[in-house]
Amino acid sequence: MPLDTSTTYPLTKLRLDGRRWNELRLLQAQISTNPASSGSSYLAMGNTTIMCSVHGPAEGRRGDATGGAAGSSGAVVEVDVNVAGFAGVDRKRRAGGSDKQSSRIATTLRAAFQSHLHTYLYPHSTISIHVSVLSADGSLLAAAINACTLALVDAGIPMPGLLCGCTAGMSGSASTPRDPRNDELDPLLDLSLPEEQELPFLTVGTTTSVPVGENAMDDDEEDMKVSMLNMDSKVHCTYVETMLAVGIDGCNQIREILEGVIKGSNKLR
Amino acid sequence: MASTLPALAIPGQRLGPVTSYSAGPGTHVQQSNVYASIAGPVVVEPAQPGSKGKATLSVSRSIRAPGTGNASKPVTTAPGAKPAATSATPKPKVKYNTLPAVDSVVLARVTRVQKRQATVSILVVLDESGSTQGVNPSQTTSDNDNIEAILSSAANPENHSSSDELRFQALIRKEDVRAVEKDRVVMDEMFRVGDIVRGTVISLGDQSFYYLTTARNDLGVVMARSEAGNMMFPVSWKEMRDSVTGQAEMRKVARPF
Repeated sequence: MPLDTSTTYPLTKLRLDGRRWNELRLLQAQISTNPASSGSSYLAMGNTTIMCSVHGPAEGRRGDATGGAAGSSGAVVEVDVNVAGFAGVDRKRRAGGSDKQSSRIATTLRAAFQSHLHTYLYPHSTISIHVSVLSADGSLLAAAINACTLALVDAGIPMPGLLCGCTAGMSGSASTPRDPRNDELDPLLDLSLPEEQELPFLTVGTTTSVPVGENAMDDDEEDMKVSMLNMDSKVHCTYVETMLAVGIDGCNQIREILEGVIKGSNKLR
Repeated sequence: MASTLPALAIPGQRLGPVTSYSAGPGTHVQQSNVYASIAGPVVVEPAQPGSKGKATLSVSRSIRAPGTGNASKPVTTAPGAKPAATSATPKPKVKYNTLPAVDSVVLARVTRVQKRQATVSILVVLDESGSTQGVNPSQTTSDNDNIEAILSSAANPENHSSSDELRFQALIRKEDVRAVEKDRVVMDEMFRVGDIVRGTVISLGDQSFYYLTTARNDLGVVMARSEAGNMMFPVSWKEMRDSVTGQAEMRKVARPF
């Protein structure tokens, strides 16, 4: 019997790494790891390890494609993602440049943070984010979002809230409509690389939302706003809502962890 | 309401309603609430007693909450605290003493004089309180005492090493030298290389240069050596004289105190 989630999960209700469906991997993070940059962070979600550094807001380079009038209304966010050759299971030798995966992550991060940050405070400037993936074990985009958020907080760049990312999948191929009476597929939180390769999953990024109404001040429960959603795999549309709900819940858990990291950092103590 | 304020804020953390606070630096307003937008200690600045304004909430970017060593509670600055009255105690406001900001008074050494501009390197950024309300004589003399050692070493030609490249570079453009007769300014008659100039920052400029102005009576050359190498004393607003040879040289002289 091949050892994969879709065959063993229905029997044991435990995933390959022994987690239950709603459990995150161990999330450890640090900020201010690189004193040479404006802000930096190190984040490990399970075996996915990411280092992120932020430079700026600084004046954009002259002769830049984005320079000149492009940044006149606010700062331009630049993201550069580098997946180390030793990050995966087998060593990749690349002659420089970026592959498809890392450029997709960079594009998504750039779009997410360009609209998220208070860029209007820094016209004609560039905020450049450099993401280094030291070890890739699934949920790369989500981990990169979290690492970037921490580094941007460390850099002191104003933002409306923490942008947190998380993945959610289904414990089977989920290609047929969901049967509400006989629900045999569980949603899974925070997928690892083997799970990502066989199961449908989505990446969701949320931020603390705008409370609506005057009495929103009183309840401490914060609503979420989904600011990024990315899905590459095929799944029947009846499952998306479940996955989304689980993913958003994961983002909430991650946000609490990240808040703890920021509060516990030497920077504020 | 003040009891709910956290000591440390995290981006996205709600600090209070706009009905009781106004948003200062490091915060933003969403749906009539003030939110933190950077991480750091929360600073409450009460409204001026006379005005009917609201207390200002801001989130500091500093490592340590100003005034208090440990950030156990939100920092509250005294409402009527005047910088002059509390000159002995550390000032409640965060000071960025090392970085020139717009309007800060700086002392700089001229490193190059060109036809349209003079290049200077900033030696000292003076206290901001002296710059905002004109120049307070007592304040300035105390500043001068503090920086006397720096200046004397800076005016010494032996110390003119490559350390200039490590300092902040600034430009004084021809039209920023003085307030009157701007079009008749001849840069060679205003500054010489090695002069110590007092100026204020008018712009942070681009990445390489700050922009300074000396277009005020109290701004200009404060220390200069003659061609013979002797210290000169000011005789008028545009002339300095060598104390040994009596030779006069043209400068844009700062009003002495």
